[in-house]
Amino acid sequence: MTDQQHIVSSFDRDLETIQAQIMKMGGMVERAIADAARSLESRDEELADEVRGRDKAIDALEEQINAEAARVLALRSPTASDLRLVLSVIKISASLERIGDYAKNIAKRTSVLSTMAPVNGSPAALRRMAREVEEMLKDVLDAYIQRDAELAYEVINRDQDVDQMYNAIFREFLTFMMEDPRNITPCMHLHFIAKNTERMGDLVTSIAEQVVYLVLGHMPDEPRPKGDKTSSDPSIAPA
Amino acid sequence: MYDTPTLERTVDSNTVKFSARDVHVFYGETEAIKGVDIDILDNTVTAFIGPSGCGKSTFLRCLNRMNDTIDICRVTGKILLDGADIYDKHIDPVQLRAKVGMVFQKPNPFPKSIYDNVAYGPRIHGLARTKADLDVIVEKSLRRAALWTEAKDRLNEPGTGLSGGQQQRLCIARAVATAPEVLLMDEPCSALDPIATAQVEELIDELRQEYSVVIVTHSMQQAARVSQKTAFFHLGDLVEFGETGQIFTNPRDPRTESYITGRIG
Repeated sequence: MTDQQHIVSSFDRDLETIQAQIMKMGGMVERAIADAARSLESRDEELADEVRGRDKAIDALEEQINAEAARVLALRSPTASDLRLVLSVIKISASLERIGDYAKNIAKRTSVLSTMAPVNGSPAALRRMAREVEEMLKDVLDAYIQRDAELAYEVINRDQDVDQMYNAIFREFLTFMMEDPRNITPCMHLHFIAKNTERMGDLVTSIAEQVVYLVLGHMPDEPRPKGDKTSSDPSIAPA
Repeated sequence: MYDTPTLERTVDSNTVKFSARDVHVFYGETEAIKGVDIDILDNTVTAFIGPSGCGKSTFLRCLNRMNDTIDICRVTGKILLDGADIYDKHIDPVQLRAKVGMVFQKPNPFPKSIYDNVAYGPRIHGLARTKADLDVIVEKSLRRAALWTEAKDRLNEPGTGLSGGQQQRLCIARAVATAPEVLLMDEPCSALDPIATAQVEELIDELRQEYSVVIVTHSMQQAARVSQKTAFFHLGDLVEFGETGQIFTNPRDPRTESYITGRIG
């Protein structure tokens, strides 16, 4: 990586513009995660509606970023770190857009859940999980703008914690549903919320991998750690 | 996992054609090349890139001893072609240049007919015994340079009457007529329009089947398009030499990065 300026300064401006858009999009997605989790905990339907409404702006920004990236590819023929920057921008914006969708889905389920009786203790656990994902996203965006591969690697490793939180929540919901069938409907919604949050963690991890690629020129060597055992553990996931 | 990229134009040869070791070139007191080691493969297009005055053309001209024609130029070190030292005193530079052909920046056909432009080399090297032999060589060379269909009905017209792109292809036909093993090209497309450039680039890719091609170019995109291996020269040093895809996506040396991304460096 290099801190030098391009001889053609408008090239620098183009690259700065699309990076600024990624940071803006990242900020919007961070806020969507936080607000979706908060609306769930406080059963705030109005806030949930707001999260759903704001997703359109996130989608529009992704489209804009892709269009700008295509222009830079066509007009500047970027190479080396410039090329990796443009490629990573395209993939990161796609990941951010997906995270935004999951936040929107959480908000949707929040609206449904607020009409039902609360299930003990679960919103707090879900909020902790969402906060961890939000922190990871914040750190990965910092790693991106500072070209910090080490911080990106750290984020990749932290995804295990999210997976473990998900495992715990999964077991808890399973117990609730077995105890009382009336819990099944809310717990199914809450489980999807947990699963969505866990998937957000995976997407943040793939953003972190893009940061590693951008900085070092190759994808992370070590296989990413997997903490989600619910799909393979027969004791909690009967076939 | 990264060993078998599908899009990459692979280097399918491991045969070393040219092997240079510790090559220095001096123009009088000035050292233009400061100790270059490089192995150029057979059946491969190798691109030399670098800013003006970095020594890429000078090094290219070492490969067929074109620098001999410059009085103040002195070359040290070893350059082996198929294991034989080309600067050995028993080597005849004229014979060497028949084996190592060259195409220059500006199309420079002889002021002769199209036919004679191509036939000149085979004639002086005695490659054809009869007129019929020579006709065969001329046709084959013009076909190989993708000029035959355009030129076959006007073989007796002067070569200088062709368009720029056709003239350059005529020069390539002339270079391949002596059945060389290596083709050196010093900015072969800088005077051509995009269509003619594309035709020459297509030709370079075809020529790779039979020759080792070394091309000096200021167009990085051209180097990226036509070559399998790229060498980056800077201030007389060979800074980096590697697979073209690697050089353009993830160069190892910061000087290469600065140059190919268009930064001050």
